[in-house]
Amino acid sequence: MIAWLRTPVGMWSTIVLGALLCLPAILPELMPENQARFWLANIFGRAIIYGIIAMSLTFLATYGGFVSLAQMSLAGVAGYVVAVTVNGAVPSIVGGLSYLTAIPLGVFAAVAAALFVGLVSVRTRDIYLLMITLALAMGFFRFVETNIAWFNGYEGIRNVLGPTVFGLPFRDPHVLYYVSLATAISLYAGVLYLVRSPFGLVLQGIRDNPRRIAALGYNVAHHRIAAFGVAGFIAGCGGVLATIYNIGISPGSVGLSATVNVLIMSVIGGLGHPIGAFIGSLIFAFFDTFAASIYDRNRFNTLIGVVFLIIVLVSPDGVIGFAKRARAFAKEKAAPKDWSRQGSKPG
Amino acid sequence: MTATPAIELRNVGRRFGALQAVRDVTFDVAVGERHAVLGPNGAGKTTLFNAICGDFPPTSGSIRVFGRDVSDMPAHRRARHGIGRTYQQSLLFNGLSVLDNLFVAVRGVKPNRFSFLVPRRDDGHLAKARETADRVRLSHALDVPVGDLSHGQRRQLEVGMALASDPRLLMLDEPAAGLSPVERPELSKLLRELPKNLTILLIEHDMDVALPFADRVTVMKDGAVVVSDTPDRIQNDPVVHEIYLGHGGHKH
Repeated sequence: MIAWLRTPVGMWSTIVLGALLCLPAILPELMPENQARFWLANIFGRAIIYGIIAMSLTFLATYGGFVSLAQMSLAGVAGYVVAVTVNGAVPSIVGGLSYLTAIPLGVFAAVAAALFVGLVSVRTRDIYLLMITLALAMGFFRFVETNIAWFNGYEGIRNVLGPTVFGLPFRDPHVLYYVSLATAISLYAGVLYLVRSPFGLVLQGIRDNPRRIAALGYNVAHHRIAAFGVAGFIAGCGGVLATIYNIGISPGSVGLSATVNVLIMSVIGGLGHPIGAFIGSLIFAFFDTFAASIYDRNRFNTLIGVVFLIIVLVSPDGVIGFAKRARAFAKEKAAPKDWSRQGSKPG
Repeated sequence: MTATPAIELRNVGRRFGALQAVRDVTFDVAVGERHAVLGPNGAGKTTLFNAICGDFPPTSGSIRVFGRDVSDMPAHRRARHGIGRTYQQSLLFNGLSVLDNLFVAVRGVKPNRFSFLVPRRDDGHLAKARETADRVRLSHALDVPVGDLSHGQRRQLEVGMALASDPRLLMLDEPAAGLSPVERPELSKLLRELPKNLTILLIEHDMDVALPFADRVTVMKDGAVVVSDTPDRIQNDPVVHEIYLGHGGHKH
C-alpha cells in the first residue's frame, strides 16, 4: 500500500482523490457562495454522474472492443423504473415504493435490459454493433415518448427528489456531490478490479482475438452478454443519479442527442482507460454550461463542436492519449534511448 | 483394432461457397501418434485443421475425437473435449502480458473458467501458467505485453497457449512458420520434449522438419488426400515427389 503510494499512479490518484474530497470546502474560497453551490452540483456533480454513464460505454469499448450506443437508454431504463415506482413522483404512475427499494429495482431493470441488448447484438461487431444498439436506443426513446400510460409520454415524470441521506435532503449540493462521488469511486475501483479478474482477462482476449478465446474453451457469447450486464449495472447507477439530479426524467433524457453526448464524452476523454470517461464528461459539462456565455448565445453549439473537433484532431485517443504522449515525450527528453544496448544480446 | 483412435475422419469435406476446400478426407490418428499433414500451399491442410477444431465446422462427413462425434460441436466445446491447437498466424492477445495470455489459456477448459474474482498470488492456475511459460522458454518475459514480443517468442507462446490446458490432442499448424534457421532447432527441441502419450497432428510444408518427427504422414493436394503412410515410404513415393517436391525435386 505504502509502496503503491510512491508510484506515480498512486501519487496522482491520492492527489486527485484528496482534491475531489476537499472540493466542497475549496470552491467557496474561490467564488461567491451561490456560485460555489452551482459549480459543485451542476459542473462537478453533473460531470461525475454522466461520467459514470460514459464509463459504462468506455468499459465495453476499452476492454471488450464493443462500442454500444444503448448505454444512455440503459441509464434511462433505471431512471424510468425509479420514477414510475417511487413515492412522490408526478404524475404518480405506480408509486408506493420508497427510494430504498425503487433504486435497486431500477438498477436491476437496467442490468436485465443490458443483458437483453447483449443477447440481441451478440453476433455483431464494429459498425453493425453500433447500428443495432443505436436502433435499440431509438426504439426505446420513441416508445417512452409515445407511451402515456406508463411513461407519461412527451412530458415525462417530474419531482423525483431523491432520498434523504443521513437526514440530509438529496437536493443539498453537498449530498448530491458526495453520493455521486462515492458511487463513481466504487464503480471505478470495481472496473479496475474486474479487468484483472479472469472474466476481465477473457473479455480483453475477446477484444484481441475472439477466435482464440473460443479455441481455448471459453464461450464467447456468454462472456459478451455478461460484459453488457456489467456495463448495464454501471449505466443503471448513473441513470438513477442522473434522474435524481434532473429531478425527473423525460424522453429527452434518452433521445438521440443524449445518446450521442455520452459517446462524445467518452471519445474526448479517451477510451484507453476508465478515467477518460470522467475527464471527458467534465470538459463536456463545462462547455455545455458556459459556451453560451463565452461565445454568442445563438451559436454556442458551434463553439462546443469546434472544441471537440480540436481535441479529436489533435489527439485521436482523447485527453488521456494526449497525457500519455506528453509523458512519453518527457521521459525521452530526460533519458535518451540507450542505443548501445540494442546491438548486444543479453546473456 | 481395440483402442479407440484419437481422431477418426470419415469423408470430411468443407466448402466455402463454390470452393470445395477439402473433400472426402478419411484417415485415423491413433492415440499417442505423431501425425504430419504435408502438402503445397492451398492443399486444404489448414481448412482440415479448422474443421477438426471447430473454427469452421465440416460441411460434410464426420469427425470423431476420442470416440466422440464432434462434427457439430462449437469450437469451445471441442477445446473442453481435449483439443489444443496453434495457429499458423499467431493469434495471441496482444493487449495482455505473456503471463495473462497463458493464464487465460490454462483456465479455458476448467470448470470455474467464468470468474469475477482476481486470483491470489498462490493461485494454482497462475502457477500452471508460469510452468507453461518455463516450458516454452518464456519465463524471463512473463510481464512483457505480447504485442512487444519478437516473432520467435510469439511462436513459442503460440505453442504454450495450446499446451497450457493439458490437451489430449495437440494440433500444430506450421509451428515453425517464419522462424529463422537459428530459431528452428529450439522449437524442434521443444516439440521433442512433449510427452509421448500426447497425440499430435502437425501441419508442415517443410519435409525436413516433418519427416523425422512423424510416425505417419498424410500428403494432401487440392483438398484431397493423396497418400497416407510411414515417413520412409513417403520419402520414396514417386507420386509425392511429383506433386510435392515439384519437377525433379530441386528442393532436395
